[in-house]
Amino acid sequence: MSKWMLRVAAAIFGMVAAFAPALAQQTVNLTFRFNDTEEKEMRAALDQFEKQNPGIKVTLQRIGWRDARDQFLREAAVGQGPDVVHVAQVWVKEMGQAGALQPLNDLIKQAPLTNGFSDFMAQELAQNKEGRIYGLPWTTDTWAMVYRTDLLKEAGVTKLPETWAELHDVSAQVKQRTGKTGFGFPAGGSASGAIWFLANCYWWSNGKAMVVQKPDGTYGMNLTTADVVDSMRYVKSFLTEGHNPTSNLSASDAHDPSILQALVNGQQAIATMPPNTYKQVLEMYATANPGKPVPFVSGPFPKGTVTRTSMIGGRMLGINANSKHPAEAWKLIRFLASEPIFTQYYTTQFPAQRSLLKNVNWSPELKGFAEQLGYARTWGPYSDGPAPIGAMWNATGRAFSAALSGQRREQDAAEELLQAVDKLMKTRSQ
Amino acid sequence: MTSLSIDLAAERAPTRTRSVGRRSKPLATVVVLIATLVVLVFMVYPAAYILYGSFKPAGGMLGETSAFTLANYRRIFASGFLIFTINSLVICLSATAVSTAISVCAAYVFSRFRFRGRRALFGAVLFGQVFPWIVLVNPLFVAFAKWNLTNSYAGMIFCYTAFTIPFSVYMLTGYLATVPRSLDEAATIDGASRLQIVWRIVLPIMLPGIVATATYAFLLCWTEYLFALAFLTQTEMKTLPLGLYQFFGDDRVDWGAVMAASAIATLPTLVLFVPLQKRLTSGLAAGAVK
Amino acid sequence: MRGGRLFIALMLAPELVVLALFYAYPVFQNLAISFTDLYLLRLKTGGNWIGLDNYRELFHSPEFGHVLFNTVVWLTIVSVVLRLLMGLGMALLLDSSVLKRLRLATAAKLAILVPWATPPIVAVVVWRWMLDAQNGIINAVLVKLGIVDNPVAFFADLRTVWPSVVTVIVWNTVPLIALSLLASLQSIPEELNEAAALDGASRWQQFRHITLPFLMPTITVLSLMSVFWTFNNFVYVWLSTGAGPGTFTNVLATEIYIKAFVDFRLGYSSAVGIVMALVMAAFGIVYYRFVATRELGESL
Repeated sequence: MSKWMLRVAAAIFGMVAAFAPALAQQTVNLTFRFNDTEEKEMRAALDQFEKQNPGIKVTLQRIGWRDARDQFLREAAVGQGPDVVHVAQVWVKEMGQAGALQPLNDLIKQAPLTNGFSDFMAQELAQNKEGRIYGLPWTTDTWAMVYRTDLLKEAGVTKLPETWAELHDVSAQVKQRTGKTGFGFPAGGSASGAIWFLANCYWWSNGKAMVVQKPDGTYGMNLTTADVVDSMRYVKSFLTEGHNPTSNLSASDAHDPSILQALVNGQQAIATMPPNTYKQVLEMYATANPGKPVPFVSGPFPKGTVTRTSMIGGRMLGINANSKHPAEAWKLIRFLASEPIFTQYYTTQFPAQRSLLKNVNWSPELKGFAEQLGYARTWGPYSDGPAPIGAMWNATGRAFSAALSGQRREQDAAEELLQAVDKLMKTRSQ
Repeated sequence: MTSLSIDLAAERAPTRTRSVGRRSKPLATVVVLIATLVVLVFMVYPAAYILYGSFKPAGGMLGETSAFTLANYRRIFASGFLIFTINSLVICLSATAVSTAISVCAAYVFSRFRFRGRRALFGAVLFGQVFPWIVLVNPLFVAFAKWNLTNSYAGMIFCYTAFTIPFSVYMLTGYLATVPRSLDEAATIDGASRLQIVWRIVLPIMLPGIVATATYAFLLCWTEYLFALAFLTQTEMKTLPLGLYQFFGDDRVDWGAVMAASAIATLPTLVLFVPLQKRLTSGLAAGAVK
Repeated sequence: MRGGRLFIALMLAPELVVLALFYAYPVFQNLAISFTDLYLLRLKTGGNWIGLDNYRELFHSPEFGHVLFNTVVWLTIVSVVLRLLMGLGMALLLDSSVLKRLRLATAAKLAILVPWATPPIVAVVVWRWMLDAQNGIINAVLVKLGIVDNPVAFFADLRTVWPSVVTVIVWNTVPLIALSLLASLQSIPEELNEAAALDGASRWQQFRHITLPFLMPTITVLSLMSVFWTFNNFVYVWLSTGAGPGTFTNVLATEIYIKAFVDFRLGYSSAVGIVMALVMAAFGIVYYRFVATRELGESL
């Protein structure tokens, strides 16, 4: 009797032992590297995800944006790195090419997106020429102009400037009538400086561009020295005429504290920035002036000879090529791209899906950004083309800064810039 | 000569005092005080500003408010700052201990012995210091990844030890150069073994130098963030400078958190320095040699 | 003392092993990479051999002279000399009897330690804010005292940008020098100075002939280490000016950073790194042979 019982016990034990590893393996551990400051909110969202998907645990990581790209490329090259990674939209193709991100096409087929991939903006930046999709667009934003209504009123300005020339005149008027800064923009030349955005908006609005795709499929430049000199002279006029203080030559970010403080304290009337920075300005104003109405309004970029436009910025989510759990990672990505994430948790950014964007509640101060999104375009050929965006960005910033600070004549700086970009487009081999 | 210097050593009091008979000059006092004030203002004002800003919304950098707030501190601790501080303490203290121990051994040998290749080896200690961080980081990352040293205490301790050894060895050798050899020789004559000499005689005398060097090594590690940035990617392993760096976002900076984090970063060094600084001022230990 | 080879080897081994393990691999890897055209995006696949092309490009680049001048003169020489002078001054101040009588010595030492414990990025942030044209306190004081009519844009004006960067560096690093020199100062046997005073030597003569020689070993070591760290440093310049305005404050280390992490050219930036290391090694050897052996005396 006891021998028989022993045999049964052993058999049961054996079966449990055989299945135990399989049962234990059911918990999948994912790492999600999310690089913005809304860590608490994202953690709450991930807790929700874990509740909905018992068996998947997600660890949240963060690397500042400055170092995010290099760090991920390094890790991917040695077989490490997080499963799901938060990347800038202009990095996706390069990272796919470099073998750091894995293609999502099969995953999309197996577990399709609610509104389909075509609902997502900036798709061209997510896939390569053969149609391999390396990232899912997640958030989108664009820069717009920001105005202090009380200062404009004080200067006698009745309507927001529509063209670049009007912007210049309004800025000068503010300085003349009130003594305060007009359009205070960062004119510094650091590697990821803001002057790159201003310059491109100016060129695009006049029908030019640093990188274009020609009808035969190759890439070229639609920018002459004269165009660059013109844009440099325009930007410099604000500095030499004093309505953008020369100290802004050492400011390279739109969120530079001296610019933001000038806006909050009423020392500056006009600025340009992304929506998240603008929200910080509004918050700070509210903290410093509790109960008072907020004298800020946003508006679209000025028109050039052809159009008014700005660049669609954005972030995407990708799956590490080394990830051991692509299916679960894809589940997490689909969860993160769903509407509740943007309405309940990650409320500081706008979703990169047209259907969701329609439902966003724009507060009155932010209406300008909503309008500008309609005019905005993606980087397109800049990202597809042979020259790395970062290198062109850096070269442009340096050239403008050299011209604006007087180290070089505009003509020379412009020529050198175009030569440098030309070299980048030719020597970079794929 | 030997006995004379030993006698001098034995007669040294722990703190130096001016001998009787030197009158203080009021002008000198005033000049010294003013100079000290100027120096202190220059050194402390920026740090005081940081402390002040840590209690203000947005660090006092984006607008004027009269409100004082603890929200910045609450926010940084809510985002795991305590863990970063602990990681930093563990890594930096361990690395300092290991590096100082290794450096003391090496410095003693460099200073007291003559052997073939001494000069070359002494110079070779500096070999790594001539390279900028950037050229080291990529290959090191690959190597660390292969040996599973990323995101580990062991890896960072190894990194910081290697990072501080050259400086420690040089400082200690230089310091030992001012400690008379006569003490060692006297002890050898008395029949002490080499190890006993090191342990019982030289080490106590070296103590101020060791403490000074260890303090500096600790501070070198404490604010180091370039290697930590490359090797520590998991949040629970990050050190304090990385935690602080995280508050610099892409389109906004949490200035209040930056100020609060910086204030916290300064604190442990002050706390550690207070009990140690007395050691720095003591001269040769009294009664070191019979 | 002679002999005891085993003892010597055992005492030296840990240090040599750690240093060799940590530095040898990256250095030789770097040397190899500097002869290729490796891109950060092609870390997995590697680069192609291009021989000395990277080095040639570096030496023929029009900016090289300017960048070298910035690194050697502004970044290294000026800041190290200032650091040594200020550090020596502070050490002498802290050592003076006045402070001891008033019991301010400890507080003063702690105060001097504070800047060093401040992370570089915060040091840069605070000084940029203090030197800000609109809101900075320094401009406010200058204007109030009538020294300048209009606020000075310290980091934007080409005439003042380097002094501003040097100020940040000095503020953040002088405590090390000051406290090291203080420790050395306080180990000088007082009897030497007293004997000299009795013989009629003035304070200055005492300083020059007793104090200074005593401090030389420490000064030698500190200046060598400071030169190495500063020459290779990129954090201060990068965070305060981004190597700007334009490329005005570009130094070798920021040049490497731009080429490696913005342009992704790891091969080229490795070549620059090797050149920097050779320059520093040459300096180290010269320094060592002529200065260090003399100052560190018969112990070397």
